[in-house]
Amino acid sequence: MRLAFLSFIVAVGALQAAPALAQSEFNLPEGPGRNLVYGQCQTCHDLQNPVESAGIPRSAWNAVLDNMKEYGLRITPEQRAKILDYLATYLGPNPPPAAKAAPAPAGNEEVDGAQQFSDVCAACHEPDAKGKKGKFPALAGNKDLFLSKDFPIKVVLNGLEGTIEVEGDKIKGQMPSFDFLTDDEIAAAVNYVRSHFGNDKLAPAGFTEITPADVAAVRGNPMSSKDVYALRQKLLK
Amino acid sequence: MRHHDKASGITRRQFGKYATAAGVALAASPAALRAALADGAPDSAQIIAGKASGMLVHNAKLAVMETPLTMLREHAHTPKEILYNRFHFPHEGDAAWYASTAPAPADMVKNWTIRVDGLVQRPRTVTIADLQARPQEKRVMVLQCAGNGRSYYAAKQKVAGGQWKNGGMGCVEWEGVALKPLLDDLKMVVSPEAHWLTAEGWDQPGTPEGTDFAKSYELADPALDHAILALKMNGEPIPAQNGGPVRLVIPGFYGNMHVKLLTELLFMAAQSNSAFQSVGYRMPLGPVEPGQFEANDYTIYNSVPTYGQKIKSVIFSPLPEDKPKAGAVEITGVAFNDGQAKITMVEVSADGGKTWMNADIKPAESPWAWYHWSVKAKLAKGSNTLMCRATDDLGRTQPMDGLTRWNPRGYEWNGVDRVEITA
Repeated sequence: MRLAFLSFIVAVGALQAAPALAQSEFNLPEGPGRNLVYGQCQTCHDLQNPVESAGIPRSAWNAVLDNMKEYGLRITPEQRAKILDYLATYLGPNPPPAAKAAPAPAGNEEVDGAQQFSDVCAACHEPDAKGKKGKFPALAGNKDLFLSKDFPIKVVLNGLEGTIEVEGDKIKGQMPSFDFLTDDEIAAAVNYVRSHFGNDKLAPAGFTEITPADVAAVRGNPMSSKDVYALRQKLLK
Repeated sequence: MRHHDKASGITRRQFGKYATAAGVALAASPAALRAALADGAPDSAQIIAGKASGMLVHNAKLAVMETPLTMLREHAHTPKEILYNRFHFPHEGDAAWYASTAPAPADMVKNWTIRVDGLVQRPRTVTIADLQARPQEKRVMVLQCAGNGRSYYAAKQKVAGGQWKNGGMGCVEWEGVALKPLLDDLKMVVSPEAHWLTAEGWDQPGTPEGTDFAKSYELADPALDHAILALKMNGEPIPAQNGGPVRLVIPGFYGNMHVKLLTELLFMAAQSNSAFQSVGYRMPLGPVEPGQFEANDYTIYNSVPTYGQKIKSVIFSPLPEDKPKAGAVEITGVAFNDGQAKITMVEVSADGGKTWMNADIKPAESPWAWYHWSVKAKLAKGSNTLMCRATDDLGRTQPMDGLTRWNPRGYEWNGVDRVEITA
C-alpha cells in the first residue's frame, strides 16, 4: 500500500511536461494476415486491444470487425476475410502452437510491393495513395519520398511526428512505427510507392532502388519519430 | 497472449518508477523504450502528462487505463493523477492537448462554445464565461466505466475489449451549472416533437469514416434534473483528460454518459445515430447467451443504453497485496448505486459465502458518492474467499453470480465481489 502511494507522489512531482511518444509494442503470433492486422488496426488503437481480447470465438471476432467498421475501419471484403481468419485462428480460443522463428525471406522477389502497400500503407494513405485531406498525407506526388535515399525507410521504421505540409495540405499528426515489417517488405513497399502513382517522375536522375540491406542498416540506428521530423525539416532546407 | 497482463505488468511498473525517478522518461527514444518494454504498453506516466506511474494500462494509443485498488483506496476523492481514463479516439496531433492532467489551454477555453440547437425556435451559443456567471453547484459522485469488471465475464465466455478489473472507477467532486435551469433561461422555445437531448464533444474519430461520439438522453428522464455542465473537478478546472473545459455530468450514470469536451447540445426527435449510442454502450433487454447474441446484434429495440449504475460493492482491504496474517482482520470497501435510493445493507462473508455478517456503513457524501463500509472478521490459515454484497432501500441487490448478466460487450458487471486471500 505504502509503495504504491510513494510511486504516485514521485510520478506526480517529476512529470510536468508533455510525455514523450508513448507507443505500445505488441508482437502478434506469426501467421497469414498478421501484417494486415498490424497495418489496419493501428490507425485508431494499438494492438493491446486485440491482444487483450485474445481467446474469444470466431463469431465474436466477426462482430468486432462489424463494430470496427462503424468506428472507422476501412478494408475490402478480401482483407476482412483474411483478418477474420487470422484473429479467429491465432487470437482465438485454440491457437496453434507458436511457430518457430520463421526464416527471413531469401530474396526481394518473394515480396510483392503492391501487396505490402494495400495491406499496410493504404489503411491511412488510401488505395489511390492520395491520402485524406487534413488527416493522412498523400503519397502520390509526395516529394518527401526523395528527400534522401534513406528518408522513407526512416519514416516507415520509426514513424513521423509533427506538422507537415504536402501539396498544400497541412497535417498535424502522428505516423506510427512499422518496424514489424521485414527488411524485404519495407524495401518492396518503398520501391513500389516511389515507382507508382506518378512518383517516378519525381525521381532525381540516377536514382536507384533500395535493397533490404539498406533497410537493415537504417534499422540498426533507431530514431524517435520526433527526430525523424527534425531530420525532415533539415533535409527540406 | 495475456502474459503482459500480470507477469510483465510488474516489470513495466518498476521500469516506470525507475524512468520517472531518473528523469529519463521524457528523453528516451521510442526505440529505446520499446527495447525496455518489449511486448507491452508503456507506463501510464508516459501516456498522459502528469499521470501517476503504475496504472494498469489497457490501450496506450487511446490512453485507456485503470487504477490499482491499492492506489484507489488511499483517497476520499480520487485525485486526477490516479483516476481511470477512457478515450475513444487517438490523442495525437491536434488532439494531443487532452492527454494531460492540466486544464485545457487558456486560448481554447476563451474561444470555447457550446452550440445549443436542434428542434428549437432560437438556437443559442453558450461560452465558458456565460457558465461561470451562473450559480455553481457541486455533485460528489462515483465515476465508473460501463466496462469496469469486464474481465470477470470471462468465467462464462470471454468478451472482446479491454479486460478491466475493478479499478475503472473513482469518487470525484464535480462543480458547475445546473443543466435544466440553464436550458430554461436560454428561452429557445423547444418543439413538442423533441424527446431527446443529444450531447457531443470536441473529439473526432481516427478516420473520417468513423462514427462521432455522441450520447442521447430522454428529456423526461428525472436523472437530468441533477445534471450539471461541470467546469471543475475536485476543486480545480477540469483536467483536459477528464473532459475540460466543460463536461456534461449526470450523477448516477455510467462514465460514457458524461460527454467530455462538450461542444453541442441538440434537442432531437430521436436518439443519435452515433454507433456509440445506437450499438455500443448498450445492454440487452433480457438475458443473452454466448453464441446466441453477438456484439453486432444490438439494436435500439432489443437493448438499452448504459445509463444508471447498477448497485455494486467492492472490497478495498485486505487485498492479496497486503499479505494479511491469519486471525483478526477488518474487511473494508465501498458500495454505490445510481443514487435513487440509499444503500441500506452490505453483507460480507469471509468464508466463501457460508456465513455472512452485516457491515457498518458510513453515511455517503451525496446520493451518488460511494459509501464506505467495514466489518471485523477472522481469516483462517490458508486460503480465504472474501465476498461482499450491497442492497439498497428499493430492495435492489447484486446477483450472487454476476455471470447471469453476461453480455457480449461486457458491461455493467455487478456480481458479488470475490477476493481470494491466502493468510
